[in-house]
Amino acid sequence: MRAFEYASPTSVDDAIKALASHETSAALAGGTDLLSRMKEDVLRPGRLVYVKAIKDLTGISVDRTAVSIGASTRLVDLVEHPALKSDFPSLHQAALEVGTPQVRNMATLGGNLLQRPTDWYFRNGFGLLGGKKQGRNLVRDLEGEYAPIDVPEKAHLVRDGDNRYAAIFMTDGDALYVNTSSLAPPLIALGAQATLLGPDGERTVEVADLYRIPKSADESELTIKPGELLTRVSFPSSKILNATYEIRQKQSHDWPLVLCSVALDMDGDNVAKASIVLGSVAPIPYRSAAAVQAITGKPINAETAEAAAKAATEGAQPLSMNGYKVALTRTAVKRALLAAAGQRYWEA
Amino acid sequence: MASWPENPRLISGEIPRVDGLGKASGKTKYPSDIHPEGMLFAVMLYSPHAHAKIKSIDTSKAEKINGVRGVHLLAKEGATLRFQGDDIAAVAADTEELALDGARAIEIEYEILPHVATERQAMADDAPKVNPRGNVQKGRAQVNGEPDSAFDQADAVVEATYSVPVITHVCLETHGLTARWDSENTITAWASTQNVMGVSGELGGAFNIPPTNVTTLTEVMGGGFGSKFSADSWGIAAAELAKKTGKPVRLFLDRAQEHMAAGNRPSATGKVKIGVTKDGKIVALTADTYGTGGIARGAGFPLPYVYEVPNSRREHSDVFLNGGNARAMRAPGHPEGCCLMEAAVDDVAEKLGIDPLEFRLKNLPEGDFKTPIYQAEIVLGAEKIGWSERKPRGKAEGKGPLRIGYGMALHTWGGGGAQDKQVNCIISPDGSVELRSATQDIGTGARTILAIIAAEVLGLEVKDVYSNIGNSTFPPGQASGGSTTTPSMAPPALNAATQARDELFKRVGKAINEDPSKLSLAKGKLLVDGKETMSFADACRKLGMMPVSVTAGFTEGLSSNGVGGCQFAKVEVDTETGVVRVKKIVAVQDSGLILDMLTWRSQIYGGVIGGLNYGLFEEQVMDPTTGLFLNADMELYKLAGASDIPEIDVIAYHTEEMRKRGVIGVGEPPTISTSAAIGNAVSNAIGVRVPRWPMSPMNVLNAMTNQES
Repeated sequence: MRAFEYASPTSVDDAIKALASHETSAALAGGTDLLSRMKEDVLRPGRLVYVKAIKDLTGISVDRTAVSIGASTRLVDLVEHPALKSDFPSLHQAALEVGTPQVRNMATLGGNLLQRPTDWYFRNGFGLLGGKKQGRNLVRDLEGEYAPIDVPEKAHLVRDGDNRYAAIFMTDGDALYVNTSSLAPPLIALGAQATLLGPDGERTVEVADLYRIPKSADESELTIKPGELLTRVSFPSSKILNATYEIRQKQSHDWPLVLCSVALDMDGDNVAKASIVLGSVAPIPYRSAAAVQAITGKPINAETAEAAAKAATEGAQPLSMNGYKVALTRTAVKRALLAAAGQRYWEA
Repeated sequence: MASWPENPRLISGEIPRVDGLGKASGKTKYPSDIHPEGMLFAVMLYSPHAHAKIKSIDTSKAEKINGVRGVHLLAKEGATLRFQGDDIAAVAADTEELALDGARAIEIEYEILPHVATERQAMADDAPKVNPRGNVQKGRAQVNGEPDSAFDQADAVVEATYSVPVITHVCLETHGLTARWDSENTITAWASTQNVMGVSGELGGAFNIPPTNVTTLTEVMGGGFGSKFSADSWGIAAAELAKKTGKPVRLFLDRAQEHMAAGNRPSATGKVKIGVTKDGKIVALTADTYGTGGIARGAGFPLPYVYEVPNSRREHSDVFLNGGNARAMRAPGHPEGCCLMEAAVDDVAEKLGIDPLEFRLKNLPEGDFKTPIYQAEIVLGAEKIGWSERKPRGKAEGKGPLRIGYGMALHTWGGGGAQDKQVNCIISPDGSVELRSATQDIGTGARTILAIIAAEVLGLEVKDVYSNIGNSTFPPGQASGGSTTTPSMAPPALNAATQARDELFKRVGKAINEDPSKLSLAKGKLLVDGKETMSFADACRKLGMMPVSVTAGFTEGLSSNGVGGCQFAKVEVDTETGVVRVKKIVAVQDSGLILDMLTWRSQIYGGVIGGLNYGLFEEQVMDPTTGLFLNADMELYKLAGASDIPEIDVIAYHTEEMRKRGVIGVGEPPTISTSAAIGNAVSNAIGVRVPRWPMSPMNVLNAMTNQES
């Protein structure tokens, strides 16, 4: 790890100042992602601003209109919050399945939303778009190295490489990594908004709009601007059917292979309005309009869930190794819908 | 002739590890925790490329960094780097961060060479050569009987390709040592090693000083699994830097380099054809196999395995590529051979419609001493796992999308000891007892076991004996590999303790005017004619100024060689996700006389968990384009966590007949057949063979999809 400056402000204002007074500052919360990337030398912030000591950034409040969660709230506090557990199981369940108890004791809501991709080409210093090229050479960020010469011009590290965990949707472009945030899908499905504070004041965006697909190797996949701090996430507290289903290889400490969150406004037995959001299948949290369309106006049962699941994967464009993720996506959508309806057919 | 006690008080009991509390509470210092005064931290700079030549290297900027104390080059200009992680340089500095800054400041111009990082790339016709003799080196065919014509007698034949990936040892304590020069020709090295004497020998050789001038200390160590026999290039680099700087230097690898450079278990792929008669006897097997150990040879493995195969032909190729070199890994070759053989055996039994357990019993080698052992073990294991609940492949049951499957596999190992090792037993006039030997405890409980033996002989409690090992200057002890430590060290420990006791009787007898033949020891007391007369400590006071010190070696009749063993797995597969959960593993193991049931069982648990990782999770992922090891971490390189560990039922096959065989090592056997049993259980659950390990959702779903199409 390279040397860096460190600030531990106790107020939001001081945090903004601390962030602004260095060109390459980064907010440090749980550090479960950031510190690892710094040790790998993939990220090299010149200053870390510790934001977990700021009281205003932590805590969960639930009132008649909204649930509001400070960005520095730990995942363990999300998991243990009774109202979230009873009314927003999609968020509770997604938080519960992140990492390990040790990770959840450290990691925060903001950190989970703004973590960098787990993509192994990114982590090895080749950026997010399948390899930065200089002529026909690949450029590796780590130490400014060149990795092998004479790569075919159209070669793409992910498309032509080991893409078992890569995207199956939106794969026409060069961004083939996946967004692995476990909390983004449930929050987007619940209609959550994020508050960002910067030197120029506060702005509020949809959680979905925290993400973008970078157009160039130097562009971030996150829309948060340098010097800005994610302070809060809030969503309507109105009762709504919701659930998350995550598929991962290991029971302990693993990333989702596919995750699906659903939020369903019911009109009697039928779905009036739905939001179905997938994680780990595309470079951004992926809303499935086709699945929504398939379930809208219908009751939730094995048959309609299956139909929505099938609709969700129509148009999937898996890569050479990750066709199995299409099947996983189908299962995740089906199970998330049936979980919301309390029909957990897969539990022994 | 020496023999083990008929009715032991401690041996074969359940004795807790003498250093267990220290380890569990964090009090024990591992070699990487030891920071002698004035110590510098060193790091390795290793090749960032899969294949490259160093055109120029300039360390001047690194050496100018304030706090950087020494730079040592392992690769010079013109050197070829053959894999990501290959050695370039070591840098010592006041802190680890400064050492890293120094490593980054070394300026190197590379000529990047074409690489082959995957077996497919290495085996291509026009592939760049990693080895001047070619990337694919085929060994001589091993032929037994008449395999080609024998297939004519077969009523059922299965031909399939199975494969297991490269995995790494993932020692929790990475490789390394801390070296201190105590004079111009003496070194102390605190090393994480399974071979203290070997480390001293290598360091001595590297600096042209006698090995006895190098004291290698390994009080405990954080895992070796076959990868820590050597001082290694980086250990010698630490001593070079210590010499250069005049300060102790600590150099332990980081996790990524541990994965890349500190060894691996080679992959194995085999096209296996097996023919059987309708009454369930194997008549022939042919196998074309290959595997890679990176830049090194060593991808061989036994096949056929365990079963009687009258006619066989085996052709094997080692594939060379730009990856880190293979090292011995717990039961070298056997897990690979076991997976391939047991998959083929299972598949052909299913094809014939015979219960795979019955099929296995029919094909055990006639006349082999292990056959009745296997037969007995299979009965015990089948009962414990509930084999009678097993349904034939394709008919597995379970709730909703879940399917329960059962699988089994057999294994074998040697586990005999060396016959040239020694233990020194010292009984001091204050009543303290110490054992010394230049062996070490890789985790098998060697320290505890030696103490148990001496305590048994001397009528003491285990805590009364100080088992002093992990010091290369003591009488020669065994390197911890091949399940040989206990069978090598237990006989000399018994002999040393027995002879020391006899010497004690002689001298104390003289002092108290009793014939030594009338003396005995029990419950911490000296007995004369069976009557307690004084405490052990008071008896020892009669020694005056001179302790008893006896160094003894091996004698016949205390140890043996060759074990069987079988494992059973019960798994639950979610057929919609391909996620496999192992519900239970039953491990039945013989290993002659078991000295301590607790440390013995602990070996089985560790072996099974390692096998479970091999079966479900582990895989080195090499990138074809960049030639890099993509998952050199402990995150995307997957390993079981606590919730992934099933119920593990360990059954010791420890009959009177087994006890009479004497001591046999048990480090390797229990890790061999776990992954094979899991693979068979998954196939039983989902109705189709998953030909590629690990049993990941990707591999399971792909196998199911291939079946459908």
